[in-house]
Formats: sequence, C-alpha cells, structure tokens
Amino acid sequence: MARTDMSRRTFVKLAAVSAAATAMTSATIGCTQASTGTQTGGGERVFYNSICHGCINACPCKVYVEDGVVIKIEGHMDAPTSQGSLCMKGLNQIHTCYSPRRVLYPLKRTGARGASTAAWERVSWDEAIELTATKFAETIEKYGTYSFMCSVGGGGSYSFFLAMTMPMALGSPTVFEPGCAQCYLPRTAVAAYMYGGSDQSIADCAVLEPFKGLAPLEEEKGVGSDTRVLVLWAAQPSVSQTSQSGRGMAEVRERGCKTIVVDPNFSPDAVKATIHLPVRPGSDAALILSWYRVILDEKLYDEEFTKYFTNLPMLINPDTDLPWLATEVIDGYESTTPENTPVYVCVDENTGQIAPLPYGDPAEVAQEVNPTVLATADVNEVSSRSAGQIYRDEADPWTLERAEEFCWVPADRIRAAIDLYTSPLKEGKCAGIANGVATDMQEDASQVPLGLLGLDMIMGYVNKPGCTLTQNGGGGGFGAVAVPLDSTNEWGKCASDGSQARPTRDHNGMNGMFGTAYGIGYRIGATQAENEERVASVPDEYDPDEEGAVPYFTKSTQYAFNQLLLDRLGMEAHRGLFEWCHSHIPSVREALETGEPYRPRVWYDFSGNKFAMLGSAGAWHNAIMNSELEFIACQYPMITSFQLECADIIFPLEEWLEATGSGRGQLNYGYPSPGVIHLGETAPNGVPATRVVDAVSAKLNEKLDSVVFGNTGKSMEEMGLEFPLGMGLMGGNQNEEEIWQSQIQSYGEVAGVDPETATREEFMEGLKNNHDAYTVSDPEDYWIYGQHLVKADDGLPLGFSTESRKCEVYCTLHIKLGRSGFPYCYPREQGPIDSRVGTWGGDYSPICSVPLQKESPQVSNAEAYTSYDPEFPLSVTSGRVYHFHHGTMRHSPFAREMCPVPFVRINPRTAAEYGIEDGDWVEISSRRTQGTEFTPGTGLELAYSQTKENNTKAGDPIRTVAYVAEIVAPNVLWMERFWNPECFDSSQEGKTGGWQECNINVLTNGIDANFNEVFGSYTNRGFQVNIKKSTAPENVWTQPEDFELFMPTTPNEYTPDAGVIIENTDMLTPIVEFADTEGGN
Amino acid sequence: MSRCLVIDLDRCSGCQSCIVACKFENNVALGNYWCDVVNVDPVGEHPNIDMYWLPIQCQQCGNSPCVAVCETGASYRDPDNNVVLIDKESCIGCKDCIAACPYSDVEGGMRPSVRWFNEAEGVTEKCTLCNHLTATSDGVENRKDTTDSDHAVPPCVHNCSCRARYFGDLDDPASGASVALAAAEAVGKGVYMIESETASPTTVYFLSAEVAEWRGEGGKYVSFVRA
Repeated sequence: MARTDMSRRTFVKLAAVSAAATAMTSATIGCTQASTGTQTGGGERVFYNSICHGCINACPCKVYVEDGVVIKIEGHMDAPTSQGSLCMKGLNQIHTCYSPRRVLYPLKRTGARGASTAAWERVSWDEAIELTATKFAETIEKYGTYSFMCSVGGGGSYSFFLAMTMPMALGSPTVFEPGCAQCYLPRTAVAAYMYGGSDQSIADCAVLEPFKGLAPLEEEKGVGSDTRVLVLWAAQPSVSQTSQSGRGMAEVRERGCKTIVVDPNFSPDAVKATIHLPVRPGSDAALILSWYRVILDEKLYDEEFTKYFTNLPMLINPDTDLPWLATEVIDGYESTTPENTPVYVCVDENTGQIAPLPYGDPAEVAQEVNPTVLATADVNEVSSRSAGQIYRDEADPWTLERAEEFCWVPADRIRAAIDLYTSPLKEGKCAGIANGVATDMQEDASQVPLGLLGLDMIMGYVNKPGCTLTQNGGGGGFGAVAVPLDSTNEWGKCASDGSQARPTRDHNGMNGMFGTAYGIGYRIGATQAENEERVASVPDEYDPDEEGAVPYFTKSTQYAFNQLLLDRLGMEAHRGLFEWCHSHIPSVREALETGEPYRPRVWYDFSGNKFAMLGSAGAWHNAIMNSELEFIACQYPMITSFQLECADIIFPLEEWLEATGSGRGQLNYGYPSPGVIHLGETAPNGVPATRVVDAVSAKLNEKLDSVVFGNTGKSMEEMGLEFPLGMGLMGGNQNEEEIWQSQIQSYGEVAGVDPETATREEFMEGLKNNHDAYTVSDPEDYWIYGQHLVKADDGLPLGFSTESRKCEVYCTLHIKLGRSGFPYCYPREQGPIDSRVGTWGGDYSPICSVPLQKESPQVSNAEAYTSYDPEFPLSVTSGRVYHFHHGTMRHSPFAREMCPVPFVRINPRTAAEYGIEDGDWVEISSRRTQGTEFTPGTGLELAYSQTKENNTKAGDPIRTVAYVAEIVAPNVLWMERFWNPECFDSSQEGKTGGWQECNINVLTNGIDANFNEVFGSYTNRGFQVNIKKSTAPENVWTQPEDFELFMPTTPNEYTPDAGVIIENTDMLTPIVEFADTEGGN
Repeated sequence: MSRCLVIDLDRCSGCQSCIVACKFENNVALGNYWCDVVNVDPVGEHPNIDMYWLPIQCQQCGNSPCVAVCETGASYRDPDNNVVLIDKESCIGCKDCIAACPYSDVEGGMRPSVRWFNEAEGVTEKCTLCNHLTATSDGVENRKDTTDSDHAVPPCVHNCSCRARYFGDLDDPASGASVALAAAEAVGKGVYMIESETASPTTVYFLSAEVAEWRGEGGKYVSFVRA
C-alpha cells in the first residue's frame, strides 16, 4: 500500500508521544473553538447530560468537555433501559465529530464528477445557497416541477420529514431513501392497516414493553417486568442497539424471560436464546405458516379475542375477496351498530347457521352469536370460507416436516418454539413478537409482518402487559395514534366516560398527516358520507377572514397533492409506499436512465452514502454518472463516496455533539440534547434545505405563469398554486435560535432555569455538572393497556382504527389498495395493479403467503416457491455488526481497526468445498456482477416477466475476508454492508469512491428482483452468490495502524481530505483537493 | 487486597464496547488492546452449536510472574492496593514480563495478548484497572458522580453494554466484584478462571451450562487480518 502522506502520519505519532502520559488530550482527539457557553478554560472538566444519536435509538449519556473539547462520553446511570451502558457507536462519536472526514464549510465542486477528479473549493454559505437555488430554479422553470427530486437515509443526520416535504414544497412527488421499503415501512404500514396501532419493531422504539421495569429506579416505583416469552424474528437488538435494547435483552433474560430467535446467523441474541431457529434466508413466510397450522389445528389461540376482536370468523366473498356484509346476506337486516361499524356474517358455532357478526363487547355479542373461526358456508349461493379457513388452507402445505425441508430448521425445534410462544396464554399471560428489519429486504416484506402481527393478534397478545403490541408512551415509532386515557380501566389508565369516538385513521404520510392537512385520502373508520363531506368541505379559495382557515387548505392544493400521489414513481405497482410518501427506488433509477415517465434533473440529498446503502449500487452509479442530472446538492456532516463522486455542492451539517435537539428520550425519561461544541460553519440539519426552498420559491414565484406543474401541462398560475406548496418544508426547519428556545422550554426546568426567559448561556450553566437534568413522566401514564376495551361514545368498546373496528388478521386494506389506491388516493382513484405484481390472484395478498423466491439455493420439493441457478449456489444474507450504524462510522479508527472489512461468515463444510480457509480473501459474485451488461430501462419489465436473463451485470465482484465457523448453516453466507473511505484518502495512488471494493450492495438485487408486491422492496437479503478464493485489494486498509490517518487531527491542522478543523483563517488552504496532481481543477 | 474484574459471560454479548471505552480512557494505540474480547467460536455442528465471548485483560495474578521477572522494578504492585502495574518511566522495554505472562503474545504485538509493547514509547503496557480513577474505590458506583474516587469503576465496567463486568476487591465482601461473585454463586452459575501452569489469576468469569460450556482460553479473533 503506497503512502504519499507520511509527514502527517509521522506528526500524529509524535503528537501521541507527547500526549501519552495523560488520558485524553486535544492532541489526540482534535481541537476546536468552543461554542458560546461551553468554553470552560483552565483545564476544568465539566459534563453535560445529553442523549446519544449514534444510531436511531437514544442512550442517555454524559458528555465531558475540557477547554471546549469533548474528551469523554459515558452512559448516564439513571437511564431506564441503558442504565449507564454506552456502546462502541456512542463512544466513537468523539472520533466522528472530530474526524478529518468532516465537512466544516460549504464546499463547491471544481472538478468533474467522479472519484479521480474530485476537487473542492470552499465557498460562503450565501454563495452556496444562491448557486443551488439558481440551478434548481432554472431547471424547474425549464422542465417543470417534476424535474426536482430528494433523497434521505437513516444513518446520521436524520431528516425524514424534511426530505418527505421538500419535494412537495417544490411541486414534485419524487423522494426516496435506501431504507423505507427496505427498512421499517412494511412492518409499520402493515400494522397501521391491520389494527392502526404500533408495530413490532424493537429497533424503532415501537416495541417498548419488554424494557419496562428493568432499572433499579423503576423497581423502586413498583414498576416491574411482565415479559415472559419474547420472539426476536429477524432482529438482533444486542447488535443494532447494543447499549439500549441490547442491555434491555440482557436484563430481561436475567429475569427469566425465555427467548426464541429466528435468524440465519448465530447472532448474539441467538447465542443467548432459549430456542434458535436458523431459518434459511428468504424462507420466513413458510416458517410462519407452519406456526399457523399448528396453532389453528390445536386451538392454541385466544378464542375470545380471535372470535370477537379479529376478523378471522368473517365469511369472505370469493368474488370480491372482502367480507360479506350482513346487509348483503340477510334480507332486511338492520344494523345494531352505528354506520361507521359494519356488521359482517359468520357461521354460528352453536347453530351451524350463518349469522350476523356485530362488533361489540365480547360478553354481550356472545349472547347472540358464537362465531366459528374455521368455517365454510354457502352465502348467497356462493361457497365462502371464513378468513380463518382461508388462512388454514394457505398454511396447509406447511407441516412441520415440510417446513424443516424448506426452511432448514429441525421440525422438533419449530414445534418447541410454537409451544413456548403459546405457553403464556395458558396462564392468562402474554408472549410477544419483535419483528426486525431482515424481512423488509426480501420478497416477503409484506407477507411476513402480516403473518407475525396476525400471530400476536390470534394469541390475543394485544394491549396487555408483557406483549409487544402495546401503545405504550403514545405508540412509539411512526405507527400508532395515541389514545388519550384516564384512570379507571382495569388494565391501568383508561377512560370510561364514553366521550371518545370510535378510532379512525388517515394514512397519507406518517400517521396520515398529509391526508389530514390537505383533505386527501379516505379516513378509515369514518363513514362514506363523512369522507365525502370531508373532501367536499375543502374551500375553493383561502379566506383570511374565515376562522381557522389556513392558506394551503384549498381545492387547488388538494388537487395538486392528490396529483403528486397519482404521479409518484412506481405507484402503479407498489402502493404501500404511499404510507410514507416515498417513490419506488428502482423506478427512480429507471427514470434517471430513460426519462420515463419524467426525468429528474436536480437533486437534493439529505443523508450519507447512497452507493453503500442502495441495492445494486453499480446500476445506480451508472445511472447517475450517465444521467442528465444538472445539479446535485448534498447536506451531510461527512464526505462519503456519494458526496465525493456526485455532489456539486455540500452544505456542512452539525454532528450530534454539535446539534441541539429536543423531544428525545428513553421510555418515559426525557434527556436534553444540547450542542456542547461547535465546529467550523456547520449548521443544524433543517437550515440549508429551508434556505434553499425559500430562495427557490422567491425566484419561481416571479414566474408562476411559465413554471409548469408536473405532467399537467398547466402553469402554476393556472393551477392556482405558488411556492412553497402546501405546508412547505417541515420537520426541523427551525433556525438555530428557535431550536435552542425549544430545547430550553423542554429542559429549562430540570436545568434549574426559567424555561421561558433563560438565555442559552444560562441554560448551559444550569446543565453544567447537573446529573439530575432530565425529565421523568409518571409511569402510570406511560405504561397503558387495554385501550381497545374502553367504552366509546357509542357505548361499544373503542376497538381499533380499521374498517371492521377489529384486528384485521385478514388485511382487507391490501385488497382495496391494490385495486384502486384506496385509501390514499381518495377521492380520486388509480387503476388496478398489474396482475403480474399481485400474488393473491392479481391482488396484494391479505394474509401471510409464500411468494416465489427468485434466487434460491437448491431446495428439495419446492419448485413452486424457489428458483435455483447452479451458477450461484450459495444463499447470502446480511445484518449489522456492533461497530456501525447503517453507512456510518467507517471512518472511525477504533471501529475499523477491529472490523476493517465486512467479514463474510461461512460454514466450514462449505468453505472446504470451495477451498477457502479462515482469514482468506474471497471474491463474491452475483448476477449483478456476471453476464452481459444491464441495459438501462428494462429492469421493471424484467422483474415482472419472471424470466431469468443473465443480463444484469452492473459492477465487478467484491472482495472480503472469510470468517469460517459453524456460525451459519452450510451454503449460507452472512456479511454486513460496507464502504471504505480510505479508498479516496490522499495517500492512495489511484482514488476510488470506496463503495465497490467490499460492498454487498454491489451484489444485491434492485434491478430485476421480485419486488415485494405492496412496498416494492427489492432483495437485499436472501439472494444467490458464488464465492472463490482471491487476493486483497490494494486500496483497502486492514492493519490497525493503517487507520492512524482517520484519527482526529491536531489543532489548526488543515486536512487535505475534507476541509479545515478549525476556523483559524491563517491556517486555511482555500482549495481542498482530492484529485491527483494531474487531475482535478 | 485482591482487586480485579469479575465478568459474567452469561451476559456478555461480545460488543467490544469495553475495548473502545478502554482505548479512549487510556489513550491506547491502534493495534494495542489492553482490554480485549475473544470470540470463543461456536462448538458443535450447525445448528447444534453454542458459543460465548471471553473478555481478557491483565488477570491480576496472585503470584504476578511479571513482577518476579522484572529486573528494573518497572513491573510492580501498588503498595497501597496491591494492583499489578507497570511504571513506564523505569520500563526499559526488555519484554521479559511479556514472556513471563502466560496470557500474552511473545512480542506483545499480536492478539490475544494482555500485555502490549508500545512501539512509539518503547515500553510495555497493560490494563491498570484504571487505577488512576479507582485506586481507593470499592467498585460500587456512585450513580450521580461516576468520578467519585471512593466508588469509581473503570470505564470498561461503567459502559459495558450488557452489565457483564464488575470491579472491586475480592477480599472486601461489600465490593462490586464480591457482591457479583456471591450473586452468581447463589444462583449456581459456573465460576471459572483462565488456568495456567505458571500464573494464579484472580480474575473471575461466570458461565452457566445452559448458555455454553466453559472452554478455557480457547477461541480466536475474527477482526485480525493478515493481508
């Protein structure tokens, strides 16, 4: 490995010598000016309470500052789950903040796009904003509003709402993030469809119940743990949220909680599990159906809950795939419930006859009907099965023995897991399932949460102590709508004054915020008449004199936002994406490639390394480099492969230690998040986008008669619109002063200052060395259960915010969504989905079913479900390691020295077959690296045609190091995503973006996968590869000392790689060069 | 006094937070690991496998062969609390102590090793139990003030993601280490030390049979690459 920058390395070593006697000094961790209020001087060490943002969870901590430099971070001991723990990702935040890869000033590209020619010039904020706004405005004026697009991600610099609303503000439907359909959306949306409640994600803080009552401070308050059996399906909390839910898992296991872990990898949670089911990657749905088969046949389910609070007893009309209504079946039937609560039909177990099945208190309804869960009956002369029977029939092939054959898990082990999962019910207690991200990245992304949510529902593991489907703390995650309660229900805190209406739910955007704001979309649970009235009530014009009127609540805005739904890329096929207002990623790439149905030309990105995180990274790289993208603006605290190769401008953002936030916490504990330092000209993450939207709007509002809205052919003026559209940019679009005000209002009291009047300096003084500066809400208000049993204003139990008011284990919304875009597009409609997309006779499957796995290993007796290709015999899947969160932290020397490459786990029997030994470098290939070149623009058609052509090569095989152990099954490989920021270090002779060397996303299938029908999720896990022994790439660092170059630099030293560590202008070199001497500039 | 770490392998998830906490606190060079974690790789044939992680660091041996072999007195015991330490000022970098330590690589440069040769300074280094923070501590943390010298614990203990690590004097029944040991014995967890013919370690590990079978020092590193 060539070194051309030895002087700096030597300097760092010398600095280390002089600093060695003391603990941490500025010489080794970097140095900067302190922000106002934190300059301590004189070597005094002080701490501030804060809350880590090294991953998507939040661990309370203390940040120690000395002379304006963060010198230590440790976990805060009063935190209710982490209890003082802090993982490597949190501890390494010091090296993130002070990394030489930080971007501390706005940078403008001076060379051509690409790695070898990357070169940068420091510009002022005003110049950066003006340049970006001018490029954006010119393009939008020339090509219309759909020429703008956004993207975001989940690793650092969290900007979900900003990214969701920025294209809306500028009149475009296009935004994507590598997560979304591949991370969390399927699980949270399916929960919203099935019961309107919180989902089963433990990583996204939806599942909180297992962590109740773990801390000594909680136990003192009489709050205890109720979790007896927990299923971790495709989740590894000990790795993903190590010091939060990982710590929590260690605590619940210590208290006797049994765990079932479903994971192809022998993850730390699998190692500690009572039962480990090492499921074959991509076969989860079949394993789930084997559980249903046993549970339904042996009546292990909660009969009362299943009969009265799920829709499984309802008879389904085979022509519509929807439940028969009593009014359709019984002549002259008069409903006993309000119009917003339909009455269906079932077979009465007592009489064997078809009977109305009204919604109500189970004790009361049971007086009239005893619904049969598994039934078939002639309804209106049509043989109709109950939804339960449909489920049982779907599960029929999946005996335990067949599941063993298909899923590679011993049948007796599956049986033991089912017994353990169902055992608490026998004592009137709960188990619960936590469903992780893995299945979001497979063909069965919608089928798996359908199955796992449904299992907890038929077990009655809903809204009870000890289960995972609770609405604790108002719901958590993005899933639930909080039900305000008081204190009289038997479960704890529930209202019984009958003042609350039947729950309803909007679905456009997280918690339906855009449906509510613009009067779009059908409100589930409201009547047809109420929905018609709601849509019609939107005024033609904004009347400032009208009480409560808002400028954007008008017919023209309503129409425009509905048009954005209809025109969003990929929505003709994958409509679950509407839940988060996102586009289908492969469709976006195809639009860049072909300009069909419209061409994005200017791009604003809110997050990190797109090439590390997007499936089929090579195809994306080709698409961008060959595109007609005129300007790409990025905001991020770091230089990653994506910024290096693609950004025309980079806005510098604050890292967590600099950023002031509010409203974050752990369970019912809130912790302040003050920016304790400040580097360079970094800004809060809402600032650059806000300034860009404001500037673009100002320019375009002078040309409303010539700017065309989307594909309408009409000008903005003709549409009655102006910029920014609707509510404009949302979710963090405050200026710095407002952010601090909000922080002080939330935490001033615990800091001992006046929340309304305190200055930032007074607030920080109050936080200084203040261990008790955190808030705790009453646990009785936080841990709430039994909401669905609370009496509503119609005298019935509140129930759930679905059409039937029950848990829809048979998800009727999937059927309707596929046919017309309901409920999102209401009052307008989409046509039905392409029949090749829907796996349920052309519809989206309403229950768990087993979709075709397009690339599978050799599986016996499974031709209908798998497709084997001997060229790629090995199944690969991925998952987190402790060291990194998404694409972050690869610059962190203390992480990389221990995990320099994404070791690929191989079973010794497989390794021997391929002549591979532990520690060998190996080359891994897939259809995305072999065969003939991928032809842009044919991907979606390829996916749906179900043919397998060897014409999707979009990159070269990757290399990594083999970790050979009995830690995965034979013929299964496991590795984490990766990128290598060293590949564009100044010391390299030839620079690359570092995304193609070791990155499994070069191999993943975002091209012609069987995209999940509902969400369009492509296949990042459970696809096929080949492997062979290889050699080390020359530009990948593997030795611990190599990472010296990623150590924070010394005070005032400019770094050739990213910018300038400190704002000492005497030390500045204004041109920041990445290029070789002959390239760039 | 017998000050040491006590580590619960039932709880350790191998997350390496201890390693990083140690590196920040003690300014440990890249490639050196005063505190480390060994993967004791899965034993058995998939899917009938078990494994655990073994955190290792200076075992604070009762007979401290490192002290016995040191000619300059650089390897010594703290006269006040008996902790085995290295005085870097008087260390001449002869590596005799490394050779005498059964838990260290012969050059103090390759994992697994509890003693490390600091190339830049030409001296041998190792875990000090963060004696600069904990010299007079009972190992029962003051939750409001983790710098309280009467109660401080090493950052590897404080930040441990699974609360698998405890610190204190095993001769003091009220110390953090002793309380944890007594609790483990009370519930029947297996109690182990990494045995050696030449050294008598004091560091204690717990491991229950249902989690995994104790396999002594075995295992290997996955993060060590020789390109």
